[in-house]
Order: sequence, then structure tokens, then C-alpha cells
Amino acid sequence: MNPWSVPRLHLITDPAVCSFEQLCEWLPRLLQAGVDAVHLRAPGVPAGELLKVAAELRRRIVPPAVLLVNDRLDIALLCQADGVHLPEQGLPVRAARELLGGGRLVGRSVHSVEAARAAAAEGCDYLIYGNVYETASKPGAAARGLDALREVVHATHVPVVAIGGITPDRVPAVVRMGAHGVAVIRGILAADDPIAAVRAYRQAMDEVRGDGDSRDIKRETGGAGRSADNR
Amino acid sequence: MVSWRGTRLRDALRLYVITDRTLARGRPESEIARQAIAGGATAIQLRWKTGPLSEALRVGRELRELCSREGVLFVVNDRVDLALALEADGVHVGVTDLPVAETRRLVGDQLVVGFSPETLEQALEAEAAGADYLGVGPVYPTVTKPDAGPAVGLEHVQRIAAAVRIPVVGIGGITAENAGAVIRAGAVGVAVISAVVGADDVRLAAAQLRKVVDEALAERQ
Repeated sequence: MNPWSVPRLHLITDPAVCSFEQLCEWLPRLLQAGVDAVHLRAPGVPAGELLKVAAELRRRIVPPAVLLVNDRLDIALLCQADGVHLPEQGLPVRAARELLGGGRLVGRSVHSVEAARAAAAEGCDYLIYGNVYETASKPGAAARGLDALREVVHATHVPVVAIGGITPDRVPAVVRMGAHGVAVIRGILAADDPIAAVRAYRQAMDEVRGDGDSRDIKRETGGAGRSADNR
Repeated sequence: MVSWRGTRLRDALRLYVITDRTLARGRPESEIARQAIAGGATAIQLRWKTGPLSEALRVGRELRELCSREGVLFVVNDRVDLALALEADGVHVGVTDLPVAETRRLVGDQLVVGFSPETLEQALEAEAAGADYLGVGPVYPTVTKPDAGPAVGLEHVQRIAAAVRIPVVGIGGITAENAGAVIRAGAVGVAVISAVVGADDVRLAAAQLRKVVDEALAERQ
């Protein structure tokens, strides 16, 4: 997987924040505004119901946007998702690769440098690291901060997507730490205007990429960054 | 791997023990399963409702190895992906889980697919969709699955067992005292959680249940 084909703006579902009905209604505009990847995440929803939701999302999420299923590889297979996002404690990457076949994205959530290295060694296409800031999605979980994000970014060659309390205003700081992209729940789904929120994230990401490029920072600081050949 | 589907399956369903960490009182699943198999369990199901999947994988690998060594059917509950990752012999789904047809599509024709119907119609549909066996219950009141609903009784087992060709196991509140009646109602075996997993002497509890099941099956023939 070419690291630059890894999605940058990830939207993660949360039925407690936004119903799937509402999400489906917004989806065409969310994708048009710049969401690259939608993660179907709905802990506690039984698999039978989840499969129905997955099929609905699949119909609406078309290239270049991708549909990823959180945790449940079986549902990812059945709905022909573009990949699976594994929790830190989830299935092994090898099982996901064997069952999904080629050309699919396999990512993993990590919460430490050690977990990032382990996931990279397993052959993940990307990592999600957080929570960078405090977030209502994980009440009580202390922010891990930008320095910790940078450490994780530099620990592996694998693109790192930052998550946790990331607002459009915070995107430049996160990208300057070397993050490949950001993952958002409430910043989009609980926004007064979710479509405008997506545009704001997109613009913030594209702007910072245009000037002080994060990849240059990574290379200059001696991290195990991607070579310029990848660009 | 030789498939458990077909004629082998009936015998493998005689005493079907389902893991449950909360009832095990700190004893590891592999130890419970080992003793249950020593007592006569013919199938072990990994049922994982809470806790990280990495733990289910760890426990599942132990159970996989144990069941292979002992020639016992190894089934994973609900998560078809976990069943595939663990190379289980089968997967068991309920009415809110992945549908039987989709489950069959994922696992191919080698793995056993079990289903827990709530109604006769669901039982017939599941059979047509590729289920290999049915778990019918709760036969008697049970505390293990608070969401299982009221006991459906022996008549329900009888009605479903008479209507389908695939084997039926009774589940829910089954003990050595009442297991014989479940077999006489048409089940080929019994599935238990607390009667074995919660027993002080797991091996003895399994042996007593197995004896009752075998005797009732012998009488029926």
C-alpha cells in the first residue's frame, strides 16, 4: 500500500452522537466536502443490525472515499468494505490480510510507541493514535499530547492518523507533528454544520501541507520517515 | 482438517459445554474445558461477551489446541471472524447475530454453522439457509443468559426437532436431573454452561451429564 493513498480525513461513526439515518442523509455532501474515509463503528450494536447499516453505507460510499469497518472483519468481508480498522486489542493483521485479500486497507488503533511498533511490524497500512487532546468521546481520558504524537509518528514508517479532540484549529499543529491525517467523530457529527466542518478540516489539512510540509519535518528531525521518492 | 459436518456431528453434540468467565470463579477456560472433556464433553464453545478480543484470541488458541488434541468439536460464538482466525471447527449465531446464509457464505462448506432459533419458522429458515444444527431453548429457566427470555419448555424442543432434519441440542437450565427429558423430546444432546462451568468438580459434572445423555439416547434407539 502506497502510504500516500492512505486516507487523510477519517470520519468515525457513533450512533450515540448521530443516528445512521441522519448520517446516510448527510453522506453524499460529507464526501463531497472532503471526507476520505468513513469508519463504521458502533460498539454494542448486534452484528445482524450492523450488517444492514454496513450495506447502506457501502451503497453511499464510493471512490475515492473508502468504507472501513471497525473491529468486525466478518462484516467488512460481507459488505465488501475497502478495509478493516482493528482496535489495539483486536484481530491480528495477518488474519485480516488473509481473509480480505489484496488491495484492502488494514489499520490499527495504537495508544503507545510500543503498540505502534508492534502494529507496524504486523504490516498495518496506517495507525490511528490518540487521544491527542481531551475529548468528550473518551471522558476522563487524559490528553496524550502533541509530543507523544510526534514520538509515535517517528517510531515507524507507517502513516499515523491523529484522533481525539482535534478541531480544525488544531489540525496545523497535529500535521506539523508529522501526522498523515486526522480522525474525527464529534468535530463533524456534533457540529452545527457538519458539511462546513468537513470543509474546515479539509482546508486546514491542505493548507498546512502546502507550506511547512510535515514530511520534511519528519525527515529533518531524523525520524524513520518516508523518502522523498514516495512523494 | 476433516470437516465435522455430516454424520460425525450428531455424536459431537452430545455434551456441548459453553465457556463463561463469570461462572468459572477464576479458573481459566482451558482448565475448565480440559476437565469437561475428561468427563465426557464432546464440544466446546468459546463464548466471549466482554473484554478485549486479544484475550479471546489467547483463550481461543488454547481451546483450539486442546480440542484438536482431544478430538472434540470447537465452536466460536457470534464472531465469524474470530472463528476463522482461530480456525475453529464451527461458529454459532443467534437471531441478532449475522444471518445464517451470510455466515455460511463466509465460512465455506467445511465449517459447522449452528443457530439458535426463537421460533419454528426461524428454525426452518436456518436449516434451508445452511445451518448444521440448532440450539433450542431456554428449555428450563436459566440465570446465565438474562436476555434469553422465558423458558420455552420441552414441547418447543419436540416441535422443532420433529420439523427439521438437522440435529437439535437443548439449552438453558439443563442439569443431570432433567437432561434425560430433553433427549427424549428429540434432542441429540444438551448444551450447558453453569451445570459444568460453575460446578465445583467440573469433570464429575460433565461425566454425570454425559451418562444421562448416553442412556437416554440408547433408550431412544
